[in-house]
Amino acid sequence: MISRRKALRTGAGLAALATVGAPSILHAQTKTLKITTWGGKWGEVMKATVLPAFEKEFKCTVSADQAFPFLPKLQVSSKNDPIYDVLHTNSNEQWNAVVEGLVMNKITAKEVPNIADVYPYAVSDKIVGVTIFTSAIGLGFRTDKGLTKPTSWKDLADPKLAGARGGYLIPVNSLGQAHLMMLGKVYGKGLTDLDAAYKALEALKPIKLVDFTGQMEKMLLSAEVSMGVIHDSGVYRYEGANMQPVDFASPSEGVLALEQVLNVTPGSKVKELAFAYIDYMLRPDVQKMLAEAVWYSPANQKVKLEAKYDAKLLTTPEKVATLIQPDWKWYNARREDIDARVTKILKG
Amino acid sequence: MTNAARPSPIAWLIAPAGLLFVLFFVLPFAVMTAMSFYSGNPVTNPNAFLTTRHYERFIFDTAGIFHEALWSTLRIGLITTVISLLIGYPLAHWMARMQSRLGHALVLMAVIAPMLTGIVVRTFAWMTILQDKGVINTTLMQWGLIEKPLPLMYNEFGTIVALVHIYVPFMVLTLTGVIGRIDERLEQAARSLGAGRLRAFVEVTLPLSLPGILAGSLLVFALSISAYVTPSLMGGTDVLTLPMLIAQQVGTSFNPNFAGALGVILLLVSLAIVVAYNRILARLAGGQGMA
Repeated sequence: MISRRKALRTGAGLAALATVGAPSILHAQTKTLKITTWGGKWGEVMKATVLPAFEKEFKCTVSADQAFPFLPKLQVSSKNDPIYDVLHTNSNEQWNAVVEGLVMNKITAKEVPNIADVYPYAVSDKIVGVTIFTSAIGLGFRTDKGLTKPTSWKDLADPKLAGARGGYLIPVNSLGQAHLMMLGKVYGKGLTDLDAAYKALEALKPIKLVDFTGQMEKMLLSAEVSMGVIHDSGVYRYEGANMQPVDFASPSEGVLALEQVLNVTPGSKVKELAFAYIDYMLRPDVQKMLAEAVWYSPANQKVKLEAKYDAKLLTTPEKVATLIQPDWKWYNARREDIDARVTKILKG
Repeated sequence: MTNAARPSPIAWLIAPAGLLFVLFFVLPFAVMTAMSFYSGNPVTNPNAFLTTRHYERFIFDTAGIFHEALWSTLRIGLITTVISLLIGYPLAHWMARMQSRLGHALVLMAVIAPMLTGIVVRTFAWMTILQDKGVINTTLMQWGLIEKPLPLMYNEFGTIVALVHIYVPFMVLTLTGVIGRIDERLEQAARSLGAGRLRAFVEVTLPLSLPGILAGSLLVFALSISAYVTPSLMGGTDVLTLPMLIAQQVGTSFNPNFAGALGVILLLVSLAIVVAYNRILARLAGGQGMA
């Protein structure tokens, strides 16, 4: 027979064990949202202002990973308990993620009400998830080298720029990949005309290639290149006291979209909170703050930017119409062949 | 229980290092090798199956870049090792034979100082020196000695220069210890028996320092062939190494299985080179094996 004291002791022991075994019980009030986000100025604003305000409003904590690349980490985590609830990447990586079932196919206004106010490109058939900002990929150039402002993508092939033009290591950089597709459009039948693109790429040699946009900014600032493929925010940020002899040109054939895309992982345990976060990031006040901090064009049509930002960023339907969105699903399906071909073309 | 059955104190001391080796090399390498024989991640993808296609992809190299990348990796590793040895050996010999303690400490600090800054910082420093608008080219052009920038960067040359600068301290520190332990009287004895300075060095000091040459060379070779940051930043379009391809497969092609196969191939080829190198040096030293 079990004595009363023994029964009480056993019960208390079991309760203690259950508490230790399930720490979530102790923190049931505080949910944690796991997200990915960028570093640099973007990361500073997120950490200082955007995320603390979100945590306060939604009574949660946000765990933000800035250590790129994110997708390999998501790949090795459990689909039922993913390492991230919200994946923030550029568009092409979202397409890789959706093929592996790591993110949702589509997010609608039903889950994220502010989607009702975004420009069509933000949720077009070229996007999985939802675009919260975009940059325009065009041509950055030195203004102190006697160059006329480029008006066409073909201007990058000017023989005067031999050895002083910049591009990207195509296998590792989405700007380089988008530029390759643009070469197909400018010199061939369209974005998917790879033969024309390869031929045009060959004609761009000698070209200095880098693997990330920050390095292209450095090359432009140090005059190591006089003209290079870059996104508008990578040039516009050098303004005011930080002014540099560089400018951005939008070629007449159109600018390529470099979208900042948010998506939710299907196995997230805090899906509602994840949708709330995306909705929050699309709020006009949050969009304005981030857009003006890093010179990104907001996806929400209702955002009103200060005049100097409004003049340069894609803030009207007419300006947004100049955006060309690459078909990343098409590109990723051919990626291995493209990588091998461009590596051979550019080597030597 | 008898004393013979108990683990010795040395075994207990070695245990943490052994555990670290198992946890951070054997286990990850085993996982990487296993992954390289799967079509996907068997933990998260129930449809992943066993395959040799990643190795076939490398062996048949229809893309035409993988064999060249392997050769380029080994070539950069070998050249970096040889140059590091040529620069490092005289410096290490000088340090080891230095009588002044202060002088030794100062030279040691000079050797170690570059290691206190990160590889990325040192590589960026080399970029500002070697690039087309860098210190060397700008100066030469201002002096009117050249019209066009010399191709000092965006190629194998620039990559090797930066790698040698980064890895010479490893060679020097390894060699200094070995040369310092060689009894100077042996060299003096050879000279008293009529050998010249050079002959005494070649026939006495050099053979006795072969273990240091082997250890330093293996260290620098291993570091050079696994270097990623420096070839990526300095190599431009001309340099493609296996570590760059591996990073590309993991970070942007999202194909860890093929990356695993490339890692296994790099390790096996490197091991073969190390074994061959060891045997050659052992034969030169007249011994059996040195490592």
